[in-house]
Amino acid sequence: MDSPAYGVVLFHSTNWAMKAEKFSQRAGIKVKLIPVPRHLSSDCGVCLRFDWADKEAVYQALEEAQVEIEGIHKINDQ
Amino acid sequence: MLKRLSAPNVLVVITGLVIGVLGALLAKAGNPPNMGICVACFERDIAGGLGLHRAETVQYIRPEIPGFLLGSTIAAFIFGEFKARSSSAPMVRFLIGVFVMIGALVFLGCPVRTVLRLAGGDLNGLTALLGIATGAFIGVLFLRRGFTLGRSYEAHPIVGWVMPGLMAGLLLLAILKPAFVFASEKGPGAMHAAIVVSLGAGLLIGFLAQRSRMCFVGGIRDLFLIRDPHLFNGLVAALVAATATNLVLGQFKLGFEGQPVAHTNHLWNYLGMVLVGLGPTLLGGCPLRQLVLSGEGNADAGMVVLGMVVGAGIAHNFGLASSPKGATPGGMVATIIGLAAMLAIGYFMRE
Repeated sequence: MDSPAYGVVLFHSTNWAMKAEKFSQRAGIKVKLIPVPRHLSSDCGVCLRFDWADKEAVYQALEEAQVEIEGIHKINDQ
Repeated sequence: MLKRLSAPNVLVVITGLVIGVLGALLAKAGNPPNMGICVACFERDIAGGLGLHRAETVQYIRPEIPGFLLGSTIAAFIFGEFKARSSSAPMVRFLIGVFVMIGALVFLGCPVRTVLRLAGGDLNGLTALLGIATGAFIGVLFLRRGFTLGRSYEAHPIVGWVMPGLMAGLLLLAILKPAFVFASEKGPGAMHAAIVVSLGAGLLIGFLAQRSRMCFVGGIRDLFLIRDPHLFNGLVAALVAATATNLVLGQFKLGFEGQPVAHTNHLWNYLGMVLVGLGPTLLGGCPLRQLVLSGEGNADAGMVVLGMVVGAGIAHNFGLASSPKGATPGGMVATIIGLAAMLAIGYFMRE
């Protein structure tokens, strides 16, 4: 069985995470704001989780939203 | 699938348990009742120790505060997370820090003390919790509208080392007790655990708080913002652990009246803590978290801490802080001004 992989987009500021969520949802991508995983950053804020398969669509939504990101990381579900 | 991501939650709960137990134990060990830990009160005591105010009953350089910050520095260093960063609206952060302290001194407690007061049976903690939740809710509304203080940028290492350096110096003053430092002879400022105990507890909590990203206001904020309780679990853990410890130690007294270092002016307990919920939501961290972030090299958080210390000086110089008799007229006016300022900042500072 395929182990699903997903990614998270990290932002410098909470409002940009929310803007990205809005644009992604508008584009019909399944996303969710979640707490930043501890191993990725010492930030206690939120990041945007998406299915790794939707990566290209997410990149495009981020472009349209014109938000600066701190990084994108792949999370493997083991 | 989400469970996997939330495995790190365990550390938040552990941190909460430790804060709860140590918070209750520190009160037994000499800190004021229901005030084993209070970031606002302790920064106020430090302001007094440094002569930034002359309220004789609340002057003492509390080792817990340097402990929290330096514990975080140690953790950040060991795990490679020390990162000097700065320059995201420092003036606004300083100002909000001033008002967060003023609000906290109207209630007589920071979010951590709010939990510890509840754990001691002080039901005024409920009023405060409601205030924090209201403030956090308003803050989340602003976040949804696009509020931001901007982003921070990597800075020269020295920028990140100033706060740890200052705190190390403060700790030296606490230990060496030179004559120019003020120290209360009676009142809450004279109630303190042994330096070694205070420092040890501070370092441990600072270390754990840095590793777990624990934040008492963030816990409430995330319930509103993303409906995720992973930080809130830490708060609950702290409450449970502190209550249990208090019950075992016989430090539990249920009620609103006659609670130690507390008053029952419900309206101002509430309003003061709205500031303590709103400010940290705009800033991105409760008073404890600001110390922990400062320890990691975050100079923006350092500005908040400095603002809080200065705010404490202002509060006691102009009679803004409450006493067990209740809130003061000055405190009420200052709280309204602070609320107006934070609402304006939240409303106008959008991208």
